[in-house]
Amino acid sequence: MGYAIKTENLIKRYKDKTAVDGLNLSVKEGELIALLGVNGAGKTTTVKMLTCLTKPSGGKAEIMGIDISKDPDGVKRLVGVSPQDTSVAENLTVKENLEFMADIYLPGGKADEAVARAIEAFGLAEFENKKAKLLSGGYKRKLSIAMAIIGEPKVLFLDEPTLGLDVLARRQLWHEIEALKKDMTIVLTTHYMEEAQALADRIVIMNEGCVMAVGTLAELENMTGKKGLEDVFVSIAERME
Amino acid sequence: MRRTMVFAKRNLIEVYRDPLSWIFCIAFPIVMLIIMSIVNSAIPKEAGNTLFRIDNLAGGIAIFGQMFVMLFTAIAVAKDRNGAFLTRLYSSPMKSGNFVWGYIFPMLLTAVIQACISLAAAVVISLITDYSLNIAGLLLAVVAVIPSALMFSAIGFLFGTFFNEKAAPGICSIVISLGAMVGGIWFDVEGVGGFMYKLGRCLPFLYATKLARSAISMDFGVREFLIPLGVVVLAAGVLTALASIVFDSRMHADQR
Repeated sequence: MGYAIKTENLIKRYKDKTAVDGLNLSVKEGELIALLGVNGAGKTTTVKMLTCLTKPSGGKAEIMGIDISKDPDGVKRLVGVSPQDTSVAENLTVKENLEFMADIYLPGGKADEAVARAIEAFGLAEFENKKAKLLSGGYKRKLSIAMAIIGEPKVLFLDEPTLGLDVLARRQLWHEIEALKKDMTIVLTTHYMEEAQALADRIVIMNEGCVMAVGTLAELENMTGKKGLEDVFVSIAERME
Repeated sequence: MRRTMVFAKRNLIEVYRDPLSWIFCIAFPIVMLIIMSIVNSAIPKEAGNTLFRIDNLAGGIAIFGQMFVMLFTAIAVAKDRNGAFLTRLYSSPMKSGNFVWGYIFPMLLTAVIQACISLAAAVVISLITDYSLNIAGLLLAVVAVIPSALMFSAIGFLFGTFFNEKAAPGICSIVISLGAMVGGIWFDVEGVGGFMYKLGRCLPFLYATKLARSAISMDFGVREFLIPLGVVVLAAGVLTALASIVFDSRMHADQR
């Protein structure tokens, strides 16, 4: 199995601030990794670079073997993104939102099938004719993720997908993310420890644009001698100070 | 082309589902047409004021209505830029041309439909007021207002690209007020003369109004029809090209 994502010394600088500082990361196909860190750790900037929403200031990154700087259009055909803010067309119904995204990525016949599949997978049938602006926060997030996967991406980026959701809505969304794992590589950014612990095959702990630790939960526990991700995170954070 | 049409369809639905679009783009111009016709009926014939006569009013109102399409284009673009929706689309295989024409096509269509409705309302008013309107001229006017529809859509697109959701409507309101004044919609700018007329001649609004009115009256003179047509087509072309360039550079700047 090859690498879905490979970065070498990836850097992003904004004027006097370095948002991502020499990121080296390899993600295998079919793996779900969680980028974990406090606000400003560089998680969203990393996602933005890997999805060609912002250009790296240095280093190299490949998605499914395609260089993000040399062939951004090629990369855009392979990735799906659910941005941090809910990004749906408010006056369109759930079904129309999905049809819109499907028509952008897929040819005619395949689009209809993909919409039907997404509605079923995310339990949106009940709301398919409801305008997006009338959905609850949880269902808006579900729709946003459904829109991100409708183009059948090889790599899916979920930027803080459960931010601001209540416990039940969050748990429900976890099930849906869990179900996607078999079909695609997923990069999830979060600052919820339990979310990373529940969903990720490997966890990347970031701080001030740098990767502080990478590994499975068991590996990180071994490394720090602590039990549970929260204690692992605190231990790594204290070591940095 | 497929992606442009897909995006255009989305924008068309967004506009048509916003009740404000119906109020400002359709209802408001018709209400103005009715009010001004009532005003016209109160003006004594001896005054010799023909500006509010339905044949003059219809062309002016058709252009006035297009100015609101400009406002809605600006709001639609600024709103999308402000939210995360465009961020999602920037990461899709859509190109800047898909965005530009995806915004402009539905607004162009809206502007033309709006002109048709305004002109149809003018026919109804002409029947009530017993004034004979040239139907061939009205049909020609529907075609003649297409360049100005593109021009106003492009101006709206440009403002939506430059300004945020709060600033864009304000800027458009200034342009609507200025355009209505120097465009000769509510009074005879040529008759007023002076700075107002000079300013009117430097901007494309007066030519757009003149073109619509000349089409209705089937006056194909050089000064009345051909020059205004040339100016409006040129303005529409330049502004659309400018809007495309600005959006493309903004899109790339956002990705820096």
